[in-house]
This record gives sequence, C-alpha cells and structure tokens, in this order.
Amino acid sequence: MTEEQKEAKPKKRMTATKAAASIGPLVKEFITETLKARAEGKQKLAYTFIVCHHEEILRAMDVIPIWTENFAGVCGAKRDAERFLQRAESLGLSRSLCTYALCGIGFDQWREELGEMPPDSPWGGMARPDFMISSGQILCDPRSKWYQASQQFMPDVPIYNIDLPYPLFQRDQDHREVWGYYHKYIVKQLRGLVAFVEEQTKKKMDYDRLRELVDLSDRTWNLIDETYRLRKAVPCPMGTGDAMNTMVPICFMMATQRAYDFFVELKKELEEKIARGEGEVENEKYRLMWGGGLPAWYALNDFNYFNSKGASFPVETTYRMVAPLHEMDIPETKDPIEHLAWRWLGYWTFWYDKARKRPDSEPDVERLINWIEEYKIDGIVMHEAFSCRTWHVGLIWQLHQLGKIYKPIPLYVVGKDGKKEVVMKELPSLILESDIIDITSYSEVDTRNKIDAFIETLESYRLNRAY
Amino acid sequence: MTKVVILKDGILTFVIGPTGPEQRRLANKVMEEALKKAQLPFSQIQYIVSTGYGRINVPFSDRQMTEITCHAKGVSYLIPEARTIIDIGGQDSKGIKIDRSGKVLDFVMNDKCAAGSGRFIEVIADTLGISLKEVGELSLQSRHPAKISNICTIWAQQEVAASLAQGVPLSDLLAGVHSSLAERIGRMVSRLKIEKEIVVTGGGGKNRGLLRALSEVLGEKLIVPEEPLITGALGAALIAREIVEGAKRDKIVLKTKDRQLEEIEIL
Repeated sequence: MTEEQKEAKPKKRMTATKAAASIGPLVKEFITETLKARAEGKQKLAYTFIVCHHEEILRAMDVIPIWTENFAGVCGAKRDAERFLQRAESLGLSRSLCTYALCGIGFDQWREELGEMPPDSPWGGMARPDFMISSGQILCDPRSKWYQASQQFMPDVPIYNIDLPYPLFQRDQDHREVWGYYHKYIVKQLRGLVAFVEEQTKKKMDYDRLRELVDLSDRTWNLIDETYRLRKAVPCPMGTGDAMNTMVPICFMMATQRAYDFFVELKKELEEKIARGEGEVENEKYRLMWGGGLPAWYALNDFNYFNSKGASFPVETTYRMVAPLHEMDIPETKDPIEHLAWRWLGYWTFWYDKARKRPDSEPDVERLINWIEEYKIDGIVMHEAFSCRTWHVGLIWQLHQLGKIYKPIPLYVVGKDGKKEVVMKELPSLILESDIIDITSYSEVDTRNKIDAFIETLESYRLNRAY
Repeated sequence: MTKVVILKDGILTFVIGPTGPEQRRLANKVMEEALKKAQLPFSQIQYIVSTGYGRINVPFSDRQMTEITCHAKGVSYLIPEARTIIDIGGQDSKGIKIDRSGKVLDFVMNDKCAAGSGRFIEVIADTLGISLKEVGELSLQSRHPAKISNICTIWAQQEVAASLAQGVPLSDLLAGVHSSLAERIGRMVSRLKIEKEIVVTGGGGKNRGLLRALSEVLGEKLIVPEEPLITGALGAALIAREIVEGAKRDKIVLKTKDRQLEEIEIL
C-alpha cells in the first residue's frame, strides 16, 4: 500500500484568545492519556462519537472515550490524513464516503495489521479500544456503520449502538405531543448503554456520581452559552477560527471540571477584551456568520485570511452544541438518565416554537435569522465538505430558504429607469467547497480568490446600504 | 490570455496577449504593446488596476480587484441592461448577478473542474485535431448531437476519441461536447436565480456552438459583447478611472507604483 509523504506543514494559525491557543496541547494531552491508559490497562477505552449526550455515563464509569472523529480531524489539521484515506481506498471504499470514517477505518486496519501504531502516527496514534459505542441517530449515518467496518479488523471488540432519535419539525404539530414516546425510547437506550458498560467494566454504575457529573455538564452548558453570547460585542472579541479550537472542551471534555474551568477562563478573557474594546481584528469592517458545515481542518488559516480583510466571525452554527437549559421547556426530573434524554430532546427541538411563528421558516433557518440579528451579521459563509452528506444537502436548502423569507438589507440599486431605488435584499453568502480532511479537494488560490470576491461584494453592500 | 484596456473618455485601446507559465511574469510585454498601440508613454497612465488570477503578478499595478467585480463593471458599462453575466474562461467559469450600476449582488464560481470551463473544449479540440476557432461553427452543422456521459475531462476525452473511431460525425461530437459544458454551466448559474439580460463573456462568448447550447439549456436569449474577452480588463480600467475621479473630487493625491516595465521574478 502507498505510504504517502506528509503534506507540507501548514503555517501556524493565529488565534485571538489565549484560551484557543491552549487547545492544541490539550488535545495532544488527552490523546496521550488514552495511549497511557491503553498501556497500563487499568481503565477501559471506548471508541465513540461526539454529540450523543452520553459522556456523563462513560465518565461516571471511569471509561475513557476515544473520539474517533477528533482523531481524524487531528490527522487532517496536521495534513497527515492522506495515507489513511488511501489505506481505506485500497480496502475498496470510495473516497466520496465520509472521510472521517475512511481515515479511521484506514488507520484501524493499518494498526491491526502491524500490531502497533502506524509509523509516525499523529500524536502517537489512536489507541485500540476495549469496546465501541456507535450511534444510530438522525444526525449522521456513518455513525452506525463506521465501527461495523472497523470491527472487521478487531473482531474481538464489541459494539453497542445507542439510538438517539428526536421528533422532526412539523409546522402543524407541537413536538411535545409526541416527545414523551421519544423520551421513553431514549431512556431505554441510555439504560441499555449503562448495562453494557457495566458488563464491560465489571462495575456497577454509581448513580450519585452520575448525578454530579450531569449537574456539572448542565452548569458547563449554561456557562458556554453565556461565554459565547459575549461575542455579540462590537468589535467581536473571538471569532469562528478560535471557536474551532474551543469546540474541544464542548465536544470532547464535557462532564469534566476541566471543561468547566476552561470556560470560566475564556469568559473572563472575553470580558477583559471587551472592556478594552479589543476585537478579533483590529479594524472590524464585516461581521460574518459561519453558517454551517464542518471546517476544512487543514485550512483553518483561511479564517486568518478573512481576518486580514477586516472580517470577523462572531458566531457559527457548527459545534455550538449547547443551548441554555433554562430556556428549554423540558420537564424536571431527579433521575440523571431521564434528564439526559430530556436534554437531548430539548436541544434538538430548541428552535421549533420560534420557527412555527414565522411563515416558511424552519428551525435551522430560524436559528440563522435570530443570530443574524443578535450578532449583527453582514454575510454568511458556509462550507460544503463534499464527503459530509449530513450537512451538504441541508446547507444549500437553508441558504435558499433564508434568501426567500428574509431580506434584511435595504440596498440602493439602480432601477430600469436609471433612478436609484431601495430594494430589500438577502444577506450576501459564500459557499466554500472542499472537504473536512481530504486535502486533495482544496485549492488555496481558488478559495482565497472566492474570499476576495466575497469581500468585494460585502464592501459594495456596505457602501450602498440605504440605512 | 492577458488583456490590457487603456481608457481615456472611452476605450482608447485594448490588447489581448497570451498567458502561460512564462508569459504571466511578462505582463509588461502586453502592457508595452498596448502603450505602443495607444501611442502613449507609460508615465501618462494615471492609475492601473489588475484583475484575474494573475493580478498579484503585475508589478506596476496600483490596486488589485477580483475578476468578479471587474466583469460586473465592464459588462454594465457596455450593456447597461445586463443583470446576469456568465463568464466562460479557460481557467474557470462563473456567474455574476448585477444591478444596473454594475454592482455585484451575488456570484458563483466553478474553479474545481476543467469540465466546467473552457478548458474542456480546448482539450477536446486538441483530441480531435481541430483549432479552437473552428469548434463552434463545426458543431452548428450537427444533426444528432452525441451524448457525452463522462463528467471528467480526461474520460470525456477518451469517450470522444472512441466515438470518433466508431464513426460518429465530428460535428455531432462537438455539439455533444458543447451541450455537456452548457448543462454544467447552466446548473451552476441557476443557483443565482437568473435574471435578464444575460451576457456571456470570456472565450466561451466567441464559440457560437456553445452559445446556442447554453441558450437552449437556459431557455433564454444570450447577449455577447463585441469583444467578450476584454470585459474584465475594461472593468478594471473603469474602476481605475473611478478611483482617479474620486481622488480629484476629494483632493487626494493618489499613490501609484513606478511606471517601469520590468520582468518580475516569480520563482
């Protein structure tokens, strides 16, 4: 099999906050810890996926999660995913499948074939798991298939699948009418996970500890929300480039004191920056929203390029995986498992009521509209990662629907008679095209040419705004 | 291609020269030719705006703008009724929505795939051993356009060669190639919610076969400027003029680069 040379190391990306700058070593540290735990053999390790609301269960049972999507992202950011993607291709898998999954499967096959980590594995490599927790959820289909494929190379490693559905949005139906059924089902799924982990670890769940960890996560959720809301400030103290770092505690470290403390520090840092009037960019000219799509992990420098043009990103829909709990209309319960299930349902249905009130809106579009207004957004940037079906279809639809129902910009245009008239226009938008970790899909020259053209369009809108 | 437009009250002169890995660093040669044609010393040029992929490689340029903004400005100057521009170049193709003043409202670009740009036709013409100039007219003679099913330029090249060997007439093959490219471009610009009048620029505007195919795909009449290759350079020159006029109005002294024509070192 081909052992591709690594791509040239990317230029170091500048972060606006100290907190974001501290993330690289943090990720390296928790990957190293998984390798250490594997060597010591005292704690069980589990492959698993982010956004499953199950971290509390794993941590209460002293199971160390190995975030397989995270490892693929690390490979991408280090421009070292290609050799694992090629491995997967040589197994007969198409490059157009989820490249996170391909990278993970290619890595697993290689590690299992060698009986040790592939040479020069990023940050020491991804440890062999004791079990795998997949997730059959509406979010993303590789989450239930990926580990089945990896199990070919690790037949002794069992899989437990948790199914986490939520009621889809229907304009004419209150989701609360049916969410009781969903709740009952999810609770059963999570209790099944507890039983599975108990069997694997030969330990019983300590429900007091679980309750404490759920409480810690809840407090962290609210703190993250408060912290990110500070980014509404003009100029914006922290942009999406940084948020692609600070997503680490949100997605990989929930139910830990360290995640909570991280956001205490970040909140303090942002408050201080705001007090000093310090923005992500020196002279903020445009405020953009990252309207979705996972980023191109090998090209996060593009955020610095936007910054160099006076563009800041106060908000993003990607990895904002929390919503304020006090604004969720979910029932109170003292049972931590029942609460996790309600929190899951509360999160995914958070925008439903608001969307119902606006004709032709939908929850994802409603979220965009709300944040455009709250964060004073001038334009939207999205990333269509070719290999991510989960986002791809929805993004285009969201932009289309947004343009149809929401035209907030009063723009002077020259009409047919040659006279200036004010026309309400939709927000300018830019769709970047490449992939999450497949660098062969990316061209820096073309991407930056598009960014330049988009900035010129934003400038033209700025100069021609009627009021 | 490298293009130069020099403006006075209207277009004083324009030159279209070749671009390649070598020529890109020789933007000065095309400029020299334009100055000669206009009978002007370089010092007389008040302001220079460069555009296109090579815009940063023009050492005497006072400002760089993307081709999106420049095409919009240039087309609007020539055809004020234009609301949608479809630029089909050798390197990429793009769609631009503008208002009457030439302001960009939205844009889309295909820069990923040769099969969506003029390069597709260049490769096929080369495979068939005919000149680019002949392609358009020949395809118009087609009675049964061939269906080119491959979406990759390299595979399409093989498909065309195989079809030719099987006796498919040249005109039918070329018409098929034009349909394939027109469909691809049509799908891309449809994202913009096309408005009339639609203007086609770039080398694609000189290919009558492609224009017919694109007009059929979009179901609309297409307008082509007299010289579709220079609209970007014209737009750049118009922006330069606006900058000079703005500076005069605001009594600002504009900083400009030295008016020297020198080869630049890229590597």
